Amino acid sequence: MGTSIDTKQFIACEQCDALYEKPDLIQGQRAKCVRCGNIMAERKVDSIERSFNWSLAGILLLLPAILLPIMGVTLAGQYHHASLLDCIVALIERGFLMIAILVFLFAIAVPVVRLFGAFYITYTFKFNKLKPSLLPFFKAFHHLDSWAMLNVFMLGIVVSMYKLLDDTELSVNMGLLAFILWLISSTMAAIALDQDYIWQRLEDEFVN
Amino acid sequence: MSLLINTAKANNLALCPQCHKLNNLRSEAANQEKIQCVRCHGLFYQRKAHSLQYTLAWNLAALIAFIPANLYPIMIIYSLGIGDPSTILSGIGQFIDQGLYPIAVIIFTASIIVPLIKIIGLFLLVYRVHTGVRLRPDKHSKFYHALEFLGPWSMLDVFVVALLVAVVELGFVTSVAAGPAINYFTLTVIFTMIAANSFDPRLLWDKNQDRETFKEENDN
Repeated sequence: MGTSIDTKQFIACEQCDALYEKPDLIQGQRAKCVRCGNIMAERKVDSIERSFNWSLAGILLLLPAILLPIMGVTLAGQYHHASLLDCIVALIERGFLMIAILVFLFAIAVPVVRLFGAFYITYTFKFNKLKPSLLPFFKAFHHLDSWAMLNVFMLGIVVSMYKLLDDTELSVNMGLLAFILWLISSTMAAIALDQDYIWQRLEDEFVN
Repeated sequence: MSLLINTAKANNLALCPQCHKLNNLRSEAANQEKIQCVRCHGLFYQRKAHSLQYTLAWNLAALIAFIPANLYPIMIIYSLGIGDPSTILSGIGQFIDQGLYPIAVIIFTASIIVPLIKIIGLFLLVYRVHTGVRLRPDKHSKFYHALEFLGPWSMLDVFVVALLVAVVELGFVTSVAAGPAINYFTLTVIFTMIAANSFDPRLLWDKNQDRETFKEENDN
């Protein structure tokens, strides 16, 4: 006891706790746990550059995706369409405040915060403006990982289109295209982000 | 000759769940204490604290919420002023009547099968870890990952209702209103997600490791 191990020399699998000597990965390589098969670390190719570009695209598409009408129905000469934001407004008007808040969180707030978070982090890395405040910022960013549900909302759009197609005249609006592109860019921004690399750089810079 | 693998726990190390940094524990006795990560300053335990109890409690809450979610109507379709309420299951029945089988299968999977498998599966995992009976960490940890991945997809029905309520708003001709079941169903989904997050898959391997160590000691 007493002698502490140099923790920079080792990595552990977060799924099964197996301990390994830290591999020196080059771009495109990944380290896989031999016991449970989990990917412990991955050095992604051009991570900062790609994540920066995708998150920038996502930020530009954000307003059209939220505000433009996604689809509309025509029945007996009447027409009505709705955007992503209209869904939330409609739920509030009908008294489903809890559902409105949760749909807002999962389909708008969390994806938006994640996009801006990824953009800010990659921006500081790209232009070498690292600050110690990035440590708590990036830590908070990780808490949102499992709560973004844009892909589920997309499937929801497809299902409700099928449902409406049967007995009304359905029209698709520009909002759908904007939403699909927004979904793609925010997913790609999240996939391209090399969290391991970012933590390592931040540690070398600010933690002794 | 043995299945024993060197673990972080055995070396008195703990992995930060947020930034994946290995931390040295101060002493052998400290493995139950809260640790502050040297890199991200987040607080954590070597293993998620009271993992099995939390998983069980959230899971039970999810199971309870799942009952009213299926009994109350999730959606009420008004046409010419007459309301037609439908529950999750009767909504699926309508899809089958209309011949929209793929959609019926998707909704049935997302709203009935996935929540049920998640609830039953987590009960099973907690039971297996607690007793150690027929514990297969390699299989069970893969199963746990599948549960974790499937979680958010159950929100599908909630999003569909939200969209229909907003889009189908043609006054007296036809409109859609959400039913009380949507509240309970959303709670089910969120409770199962929290339950899955509370479960620590490393416990599966710990239990196995303990037994292997015991066997080896007996062999010698």
